[in-house]
Amino acid sequence: MKKFLAAMISAGILISGCGGGNSVADDKNTFTYGTVAYGVAMENAGTNPHESYSGWSTIRYGIGETLFKFNEHMELEPWIAESFAQIDDYTVQIKINDAAVFSNGKKVDGEAVKKCLEHLIANHDRAPHDLKISAITADGQTVTITSTEKVPALLNYLSDPYGCIIDIDAGFDDKIVVGTGPYRAVKVTDTQIDLVRNENYWGAVKPKLEKIIVRSITDGDTLTMAMQNGELDAVQGLPYSSLKLFDNDNFKISQVDTSRVYQAAFNFDTPELQDLNVRRAISMAIDKENFTKVLLDGNGTAAVGPFPANLSFGDNAVHAAAYDLDGAKNLLAESGWIDTDGDGYVDKDGKNLELRYLTYTSRQELPLLAEAAQANLKKIGVKLNVNATDNYKTFLRDGEYDIFSKAIVTAPTGDAEYYFTSHIVSGAVDNAGHYDSAEISRLENELHNTFGAANRSALAVQMSQQILDDCALFYASHLRMSFVMKNNVVGFYAHPSDYYEITAELEKK
Amino acid sequence: MLKPLIPDHLSLITVPALALILVAIFAQYLTPFDPYAQDLTRALTPPDSVNLLGTDRYGRDILSRVIIGSQTTILSALALLAVISIVGSLIGAVCGFKGGRVDTILMRTSDVFLAFPQMVFAIAAAGALGGGLFNAALALALIGWTKYARISRSLTLTIRKMPYIDAAKLAGTGSAGILINHVLPNIAGPILVTAALDIGTIIMELAGLSFLGLGAMPPTAEWGAMMNNGRSMLQTAPWVILSPGFAIFLTVAIFNLLGDKLRDVIDVRGNRN
Repeated sequence: MKKFLAAMISAGILISGCGGGNSVADDKNTFTYGTVAYGVAMENAGTNPHESYSGWSTIRYGIGETLFKFNEHMELEPWIAESFAQIDDYTVQIKINDAAVFSNGKKVDGEAVKKCLEHLIANHDRAPHDLKISAITADGQTVTITSTEKVPALLNYLSDPYGCIIDIDAGFDDKIVVGTGPYRAVKVTDTQIDLVRNENYWGAVKPKLEKIIVRSITDGDTLTMAMQNGELDAVQGLPYSSLKLFDNDNFKISQVDTSRVYQAAFNFDTPELQDLNVRRAISMAIDKENFTKVLLDGNGTAAVGPFPANLSFGDNAVHAAAYDLDGAKNLLAESGWIDTDGDGYVDKDGKNLELRYLTYTSRQELPLLAEAAQANLKKIGVKLNVNATDNYKTFLRDGEYDIFSKAIVTAPTGDAEYYFTSHIVSGAVDNAGHYDSAEISRLENELHNTFGAANRSALAVQMSQQILDDCALFYASHLRMSFVMKNNVVGFYAHPSDYYEITAELEKK
Repeated sequence: MLKPLIPDHLSLITVPALALILVAIFAQYLTPFDPYAQDLTRALTPPDSVNLLGTDRYGRDILSRVIIGSQTTILSALALLAVISIVGSLIGAVCGFKGGRVDTILMRTSDVFLAFPQMVFAIAAAGALGGGLFNAALALALIGWTKYARISRSLTLTIRKMPYIDAAKLAGTGSAGILINHVLPNIAGPILVTAALDIGTIIMELAGLSFLGLGAMPPTAEWGAMMNNGRSMLQTAPWVILSPGFAIFLTVAIFNLLGDKLRDVIDVRGNRN
């Protein structure tokens, strides 16, 4: 009897423990947000935009703002800047909004912006290569930026989260910066950011919440349960299979297509993959529609090229070989890959077509794509050995892969050039397949010197088509991002840029 | 020593244990479907008359995967156990018999390994080795041998003083001969009992490493890895995680009961008590 009582008491304690913890989220002035996208692994821990990808956190959580922002079509609109004028191919003049102030009450003038941008190019890893700034001058509310070479996408790059304007004089103590956003950080750790209302916010809409807690919860199931038991007001990054749990009157879901693509690069150092027929056959054997519909639970769109259809240079403007298993088998046979020994795998010179597929697990969709690709390719007799490891950088460095699959935001600044220069051109840092095309180099050079959205878009289409014609990579799916929130949360929307989350409009009714 | 096992003490528990091992050995002949064949049109189908345990997110038959998974899970655990119990016992017997510097070095080494919590060490080692079922087993073997070395050493220390060992020495038998012919046969019983009681633990640990993504790699059907794949669907498609989970529960329970029975039969001192 005593044992029974003890067991009942323990169970009671356990159950009450599981159910607790929603008192903070019940407070109408406090918003608790759980996300898988913040933390050291994402290289965005902290709020200093001049460090790695931390600027994403500064912008996402409403601490800072950039000179320009992107609308839903990823077109530029003024934000801290009021207007700009292109003086010549190398010089742009930006007028700062006279009303803009930092959260510490200090006015945002040309000098403050100059200081911030100079600190950015002196400290950030990617910004100097993108911006190519030679000189910045400030005069009142005007900043003039001169580049060492033509940078047609300069304003887009300045709208990257690293371009978040912060008060350099306020310092970077405890990973906290002073920005111009509707909220200001009061405590920043690698797993949590505590924000309070910016009483000096300069925007037309004033922030409504007193306090926001951003919690990094990297386990999808923990996130699901925390949302279910009311500990959180909103979440980002739920497993797709959990989304249907929130498809009821107690919750709301905001979804948007982003430019994040799941891609796989063929390693051109692998002799078998130097044959265009083999690369094309593999690309044709990937069942993208079913991958998106079934394995992503419809949370995305099957991809053609690197950019989603909502961009002018996106999937509507390019074409790739369709899913066709018989066609794929014929291509392999054309190159002499035939199953001569009846083991289910095609072979040539006594050797099976066996490839190493490298990917990582921190993006939940990638292992799914790996297993789907493995089963797809088995149907055309190609054996895929999957290595899904978060230690993938070691394998990349050692060249121990034939196909490398990753998730990447291809147009974070609404412009295509970033993707080509980082992933496609010969010698690019993330050109994992060592793809080297003279035509791509020529087009990139042209793109680099071309101004005007329409002209740049046309070149981006040509380059994407060249990649697809060469079958240098295959693109599986574009991600649809989802925010789940309680039904009393308003003003919280998923944005195609993937980095505007908490705004002044956010409130709890 | 093993005679009492058959038939008087042949417990009912031996039958399911043997059945499990047979299923594991002949798994490829018992699966109703290809355990690796994907059919996305039938993804996440609940248990029905076609797929008795339902299908996973790739439309693969879970029953077939649980059956083929027994091969990976049970046979890997038994192989690992065989290696660590034999190697550990030999090391312990040599230490106990030889003593001196060999004993000191090997036992201090085992002390170092014993200072680590077993699973934490295994996770760290498997992570450092790069994952995969072989590396997971290697990680568990690295720390698992110490228990057998300790037991076998203490048993050998007792046996070493027995008159029949002195007699063997007087008869001119060499150290190796004494170890193989007189020491090992006399410590085999308790080692076997320990090993039998360990089967369940090893299965749990191997499945645990696979659950954490440090063991079997996709698409290998392994119960721990299958549970991990179904983890996010516990509320929406519970059959995906429950089937391999129940398989682990049943197997570990059967082997633990078998271990208990073996202890009752073999462990003479235990019987006296």
